[in-house]
Amino acid sequence: MKLTLGIAYCPHSFPKLLNCFSFGSLGRPFCSSAPSSSPTCVKPQVPLYLRPPIYSTKLCDLKKWHDWAKGLSFSIGSTFVQSDNGPDSSMLCRELKWFMEDAVEDRSLATEDDEEVTMRVDIEELYSLWKQRVQERRPFQYVVGCEHWRDLILSVQEGVLIPRPETQLVVDIVSDVVSENEDLRSGVWADLGTGSGALAISIGRVLGNEGGRVIATDLSPVAVAVATYNVQRYCLQDKIDLREGSWFEPLKDMEGKLAGLVSNPPYIPSEDISGLQAEVGRHEPRLALDGGIEGMNALLHLCDGAALMLKPGGFFAFETNGEKQCRALVDYMKSRSGSFYNLEILADFAGIQRFVIGFHQ
Amino acid sequence: MEVVSQPLCTILFATRKRSLLIPKQIPNPSKHFPFLSFRATILSSSRVSPPSLLFAAPENQLSVGEGENTDASEWALQDFYSLRRDVEIMLQRVEEIRESSGLQLLEQELANLEEQAADISFWDNRAKAQNILSTLADVKEKIKLLNDFKTQVEDAETIVMLTEEMESIDRGLFDEATNLIKELNKSLDRYELTQLLSGPYDKEGAVISITAGAGGTDAQDWADMLLRMYMRWSEKQRYKTRVIEKSPGEEAGIKSATVEVEGRYAYGYLSGEKGTHRIVRQSPFNAKGLRQTSFSGVEVMPLLPEESMDVEIPEEDLDISFSRAGGKGGQNVNKVETAVRITHIPTGVTVRCTEERSQLANKIKALSRLKAKLLVIAEEQRASEIKQIRGDAVKAEWGQQIRNYVFHPYKLVKDVRTGHETTDVISVMDGELDPFIKSYLKYKLNMSLSTSGVN
Repeated sequence: MKLTLGIAYCPHSFPKLLNCFSFGSLGRPFCSSAPSSSPTCVKPQVPLYLRPPIYSTKLCDLKKWHDWAKGLSFSIGSTFVQSDNGPDSSMLCRELKWFMEDAVEDRSLATEDDEEVTMRVDIEELYSLWKQRVQERRPFQYVVGCEHWRDLILSVQEGVLIPRPETQLVVDIVSDVVSENEDLRSGVWADLGTGSGALAISIGRVLGNEGGRVIATDLSPVAVAVATYNVQRYCLQDKIDLREGSWFEPLKDMEGKLAGLVSNPPYIPSEDISGLQAEVGRHEPRLALDGGIEGMNALLHLCDGAALMLKPGGFFAFETNGEKQCRALVDYMKSRSGSFYNLEILADFAGIQRFVIGFHQ
Repeated sequence: MEVVSQPLCTILFATRKRSLLIPKQIPNPSKHFPFLSFRATILSSSRVSPPSLLFAAPENQLSVGEGENTDASEWALQDFYSLRRDVEIMLQRVEEIRESSGLQLLEQELANLEEQAADISFWDNRAKAQNILSTLADVKEKIKLLNDFKTQVEDAETIVMLTEEMESIDRGLFDEATNLIKELNKSLDRYELTQLLSGPYDKEGAVISITAGAGGTDAQDWADMLLRMYMRWSEKQRYKTRVIEKSPGEEAGIKSATVEVEGRYAYGYLSGEKGTHRIVRQSPFNAKGLRQTSFSGVEVMPLLPEESMDVEIPEEDLDISFSRAGGKGGQNVNKVETAVRITHIPTGVTVRCTEERSQLANKIKALSRLKAKLLVIAEEQRASEIKQIRGDAVKAEWGQQIRNYVFHPYKLVKDVRTGHETTDVISVMDGELDPFIKSYLKYKLNMSLSTSGVN
């Protein structure tokens, strides 16, 4: 499988990285501004469904695996639900179906038990991947290497936060705002802590061809590499600029110039981290989750930065942990007399007060 | 190996029955078989079947056939027998079609219309006159078509009789008759299709929703069996299927499932499947194996392409809800739960989509299914229908069933509406539904003909 990755992930799909850091293969940090990051060059993984179908297995063996995987899923019952609000058997079965969709090229072609089915992964690997999913609680999205989010299929891997369905609303909010504001539509937007690039890519698409651009930043080199890969897959290299660094640091040139600012920063209070659903707490990057003691560290920092970076009339939308944080954030912003107006708290689809939006004076 | 659809198999089977008359197994005469041939069912219907005596030893016949050498004349003779049989079948088929199309009624109508057109005051009302003339043309055209069928099959019959008299086979004539039959088959298929499937959405794909009735695991297992049956049927038609919603039962089977069936005329064929399906069997889920009756509801809607649905539903008429991951949501939770449920508030029609991998995709899908439902409601324009079409649509209970599937104490599948039945339960559950579908379509056509005849 490692071999496949090497082949499928051909360098020409990364012109930017190669141009800037052609020495990356020498094992140096691939971004000079992040000396603290791991010394190895970060290679984004190709999502399972995009890997070449170079493996094959007998249909009966695949069926055997499927039965085994189903059995394993059913053995879970509601154990995970009870322990940490994790997935139940029926959800695991749904994931299993999607896993099959991604791993097997076209199952309908084979009908006889001894016919060969072409697959994107070795049958042995299927066993170990599903074991990881169920026994180690490795998130499904890491197993298949992608997440279907809005109309996008985003590559994700360990080290990158899996975009959540709630965050999709930010795109709708931005879409509404720019539809009636030409100035915002053609301006420069920033997505801070972009992770997989979900918000940056969606907003880039919302802005269309009217000159608007997006700058996306992330402190994590893995996130930057994965986001770059996703941006390229959606051919938005010209529209989205990825910069590695902490929050506003890589945006020094944009002071007072941003038309819009969005972020889904880490907002979980540190003391909650240990009690998280295993898929989240054990596998997703703490950097993208832990928001400090009250969970507000990053959010407050973003508020301060927004006042500085947004141009007059500029728009922002931040995701938070819920009602308490939303209120605290709004209070904080109001206390910065005259910086923001039209502050609003919006609920997500589950009715939880999730977003704070507003405009810069 | 060529994959044949089931109707063809019925033909081969029928061929085998008959072939005792002939010294050798006959190659299948019609290669051009349409995906759902009505001819096949006619063949297997009892009227055409040979006396049961001949059916008694098909294996013997097979072994006789296989061992022999073939020479040209024998093959030719066989071809001739095969042709003769085709012609016989075709005669029946044409007669049947002429009858079921209400030829006599049509002729009456023609006379009636012509009388009106000959009236002196005919042109007084111009619009009405135009209307009558166009109906007249339609009726004439239809009668001509039905008569053409007859002439063509009679031509073929004449050739057969001639050949029999001549005691040698004229290749030219033979080919002509074969072609006649071949063409006629095609036109008849086309004709039947337009007759039987002339509803506004019949050409479209279909969305089948199956809901387990009351009765716990047994009913849920039954719903699953039905799901499999429709999947198998669709496969046989070379339709593309896609499960877009499925909620598994606690122990076994499914509580509900929704499948999209993509392909021409899928809705036309499947629309008659709407209703309650009843099973009688020994329960595999209770230790005593008691006889158990369970129900499942099947609902069928057209699968309409997005652009064809110019229904605008005001946003405020929609109640859209997403499944909730529970707890604090956001970063705290990672669940690939993407289900979307949309309720059309004015009618109470509800759809739910769970099988897509993103909320947006489920929402789009749910919305288009909702539109399709509303379209059908609007089209049927009957308040009482709304109840039937909506959500838990069909009452999955006693007395409402459209079809009974008895596995025990005897084996029988019987359609309550058409009376069509078979003892081969296994094949039916394997998707062998064509005879049922066809007999329902015919039944529906006859019903509409008889009502229009009264008027």
